[in-house]
Amino acid sequence: MKDLKHLITFENLLQDAQNELVTKAVEEGQLALGYNCYYIPEALLNLPGCFSTRLRAPRCTSTDVASYYMTARTCPYVRSILERAIEGGYNYLNALFGSEGCAAMERMEEHFDLLHPVKNEGFFTTIIDPPMRGDETNLKYYKVQLRTKVLEPLHERFGVDISEEALRAAIDDHNAVSSVITAIGEFRKGDKPRITGYEFHVLQVASQVCPHKAILPLLEETLEEVKNRQPEGKFPFRARVVLAGSEIDDPDFTKLIESCGAMVVADRYCFGSFPSREQIEIREGESAFDAICRHYLHWNQCARFMDGEKIDQRSGEIKRLVEDFGADGVIYENMKFCEFWSYEKVLENHIFTDELHIPCCTIEKEYALGSVGQLRTRFQAFIESLEIKNIQGGK
Amino acid sequence: MKLTDKLVGAVDKKLRRFDPIWRAENGLGGQRDRYYDKTGVAKWREWRGVRDTLYDYSQWLNNIVSMVQMVGSAPIPCLKGFWEYRWMGSYLGTFMFIDRLFEGYRGTELRIAHMNMHAIVQNLTKKIAFVLSNDQRLGGGPYTDKCIPHDETITQLFLKGFKDLYPVPMQTLPEFIICDIDQHIEPYYIDVAESFGLPADVCSRCAAETGVALDDALPILGKVMLSTNMPCNASEATSMFQRRRIGKPDFPITLAMQHQKPEGLVYSREMLERAIAFVEEHYGVKYDWEELFKYARLMNEQNTIELEKWDYFKTPYSPLSGIAESLYKLFEWQSANGTDPYFNKVDRKVIKIMRKAYEDKYVPFGGRTRHRAFLWGPSAVYYTDFPTWTQNCWGITIVLNMDSTMGYNMIDTSDTDKAMDDLTALTQRACMRHHAVGGWENINAVWDWARAFNCDMVLMNDNIACKGMLGVHAMMEEQARDLGFHFIFIEHDLEDSRTVSRQDMRKCVNNYMSVVLNEKPLDPTIVEFDDSEAY
Amino acid sequence: MKAKTVCKALRLIGSLLGKLCLVALIFFVVTFGIYITNAENKLIYYVIRPFLNKHYDSQVRDRKI
Repeated sequence: MKDLKHLITFENLLQDAQNELVTKAVEEGQLALGYNCYYIPEALLNLPGCFSTRLRAPRCTSTDVASYYMTARTCPYVRSILERAIEGGYNYLNALFGSEGCAAMERMEEHFDLLHPVKNEGFFTTIIDPPMRGDETNLKYYKVQLRTKVLEPLHERFGVDISEEALRAAIDDHNAVSSVITAIGEFRKGDKPRITGYEFHVLQVASQVCPHKAILPLLEETLEEVKNRQPEGKFPFRARVVLAGSEIDDPDFTKLIESCGAMVVADRYCFGSFPSREQIEIREGESAFDAICRHYLHWNQCARFMDGEKIDQRSGEIKRLVEDFGADGVIYENMKFCEFWSYEKVLENHIFTDELHIPCCTIEKEYALGSVGQLRTRFQAFIESLEIKNIQGGK
Repeated sequence: MKLTDKLVGAVDKKLRRFDPIWRAENGLGGQRDRYYDKTGVAKWREWRGVRDTLYDYSQWLNNIVSMVQMVGSAPIPCLKGFWEYRWMGSYLGTFMFIDRLFEGYRGTELRIAHMNMHAIVQNLTKKIAFVLSNDQRLGGGPYTDKCIPHDETITQLFLKGFKDLYPVPMQTLPEFIICDIDQHIEPYYIDVAESFGLPADVCSRCAAETGVALDDALPILGKVMLSTNMPCNASEATSMFQRRRIGKPDFPITLAMQHQKPEGLVYSREMLERAIAFVEEHYGVKYDWEELFKYARLMNEQNTIELEKWDYFKTPYSPLSGIAESLYKLFEWQSANGTDPYFNKVDRKVIKIMRKAYEDKYVPFGGRTRHRAFLWGPSAVYYTDFPTWTQNCWGITIVLNMDSTMGYNMIDTSDTDKAMDDLTALTQRACMRHHAVGGWENINAVWDWARAFNCDMVLMNDNIACKGMLGVHAMMEEQARDLGFHFIFIEHDLEDSRTVSRQDMRKCVNNYMSVVLNEKPLDPTIVEFDDSEAY
Repeated sequence: MKAKTVCKALRLIGSLLGKLCLVALIFFVVTFGIYITNAENKLIYYVIRPFLNKHYDSQVRDRKI
């Protein structure tokens, strides 16, 4: 396929947390609001005069200082973020909205308060207590958390408009970006996909780290380009897989899988588009804020949810993606030292392999893709088994 | 002086060469001389002088009586239990466990320690007999359907409002308690969990609990189960496997992580109320507040006495410290939780002794205490008999364990609305949780506690797989330095003694005491020894 | 007659007490012997647990998720 016109631009935007678009927005006087986790609704951070940016630590090669604070036995993603913060890589941020989703994440976010690594006057951090069930009681609690730890601080400290109108505008903004990303993602379906998993991953991550207003025109242009893109004559991969699991913000990981021969047709991981790019609907009689909270609690598929419905939703959603995107199997990933996904991976591997009879491969990875030899071998073996299964007519 | 005193004195003098403390003081040996190498099996029991040896012997008999009563009350289920469950076999190590815990204890310390320990033994043996008699796996019993199996970290007290139902903490027998008695039992279950692909870097307690579930070794009781998000990430994930293996309707009681915040209390309260409604629906019973108040009064008495004990802990005249304090408190709070009046009886006796000791200016451990330490320690403290060892080897008295500061608020026993708030506050501050989640302030509180209890030292068990605590590693060290505390990280892998052995844990203290403080051990025979094959 | 009966009863009580003391003494000697030599723990450690462990190791358990 012909290269996408803006692919290099998008790739360049992922080279630094403070990329060109972020810098421009900050220079224009917009508030840069960081977050790490899906529990913090992106839509709440795109209020007038603000933009959301999900924190990454691209090209992080060492976490020495962060490992001093958090030891080398904690999640490498959170250590990389802390390291980048200590290096001064997030000095453009005006606030960080954290979530006690997992212990490591919470501790890392606390260090933003304890060490004051972000040198920006007025910078503050809040940490929500995120719900662990999908029911009404938990929705109520989620609303309290988001109101008191996101909206009210934004209004009180920076005078941000948190009115119904402003929130509706933020939902429109979210929906606009989401509809473009979803439309592009749809082209991963079918025998002749017009976009690779890698390309999509780049676009999706860029849409989460850049100011929406700045990235949207580029995304829209890319959508038009993809619509008219000539696919390869023959499916260029040997298999199709759904990639699921914890945090993956480096498109090179998707590239690694695709270089082994399997196209990543759907992305159900933190930083992926399932969930994150669903449309937020405001029901009749519902406020915009309530709609955002309901939406995020419903779609959230974090492995920390404990109730039966949410546990079933996790495997059900991946099964749906396998069917909708015609995947041959699932690759389950967990970040090293991530307890939630370590357990989830074991359970889902059992459910998919033994109960649903969908081939499943589980791997554990570091944040920074260093030596990938072992992973490559695992992927190659898995893809080979999928290929053999396909040749044998699914037996 | 009475004739008996004279006689006892003479015998004590004659036999003191067998007393390991005297031997250590006189450079003739010490505690470790009594043991077969590696095994933890003593060649003979500790000679503590006539009176204390006879007292120890009488308490040994007392514990045997409880065990005989257990088997006598349910002989067939007990035999079946021993045959069916690997973890039941480990309970045979209880006598060795008690001996280890109270090594070097004399006089009032020994008496209080045994009173506390017997409360645990009598409660535990009754629990074992009850669970095995009603375990569906072993054929069930009359109360099988009247049990409410719940996660071990949920307080039993709030479930006592169900008059004819029996709350049973699910993991207490196969995991929570037994890991303290036998260091070799949990590695078996950890291996089971890891054989299904669970990484070795998750918390070993949770891995072991998962292994118990996967190995089909959880007793099956009741009509439903109540899981919880307490205490930590891995335990939340563990409950996914337990609910699958148990296969009964599950109500996860998710309580606020940020439990110190008012909105957290509101949320947690609603979750508890829903849990009550869930039980009512499935068992067809009504919650009885009067019944609850009956037990809440017991809990209040326990907590009132506990708070008085704290006043004595702050002084140099407390004969209750170390393992006798922390294990008792852990069990009393987590497993009895106001539901067993025997604990109240013991508390009343113990507080009387403590008052008298304070009046008499009684100095415990023969005045051999050199440092007063505040401890942050979970299970690895118990199977390693760590506080006993720090006392005997280096004269470090563990004044209080962080886990002993679990919910100590009183429950209102007249107003159901207030009572519900109080119950919620109590339940949220559970074992291994209330200081470890909900923000830095909760951990940072350790220094205030240490200062309030006049400690010069903080021992922090450093679970190599506890992500929450690893996340504040350097901050704790920096705080200790800034605030002027002696601070020792004791690395351990909680319930997997293969990763970090007991000796490796002791070494952390040895290094600090000898290299940093340049102190000499009280008993050189227990500075370095191999007990890798001990229970 | 009365004195004789009392005497007999006292003798009986005495002999019972004597027997009781003897039983108590034997009980004390045996149990204290077990206690001080740590015999029960040696039996458990070297005999009972190895036997039980052999049994547990040979069990076929329903091991699954």
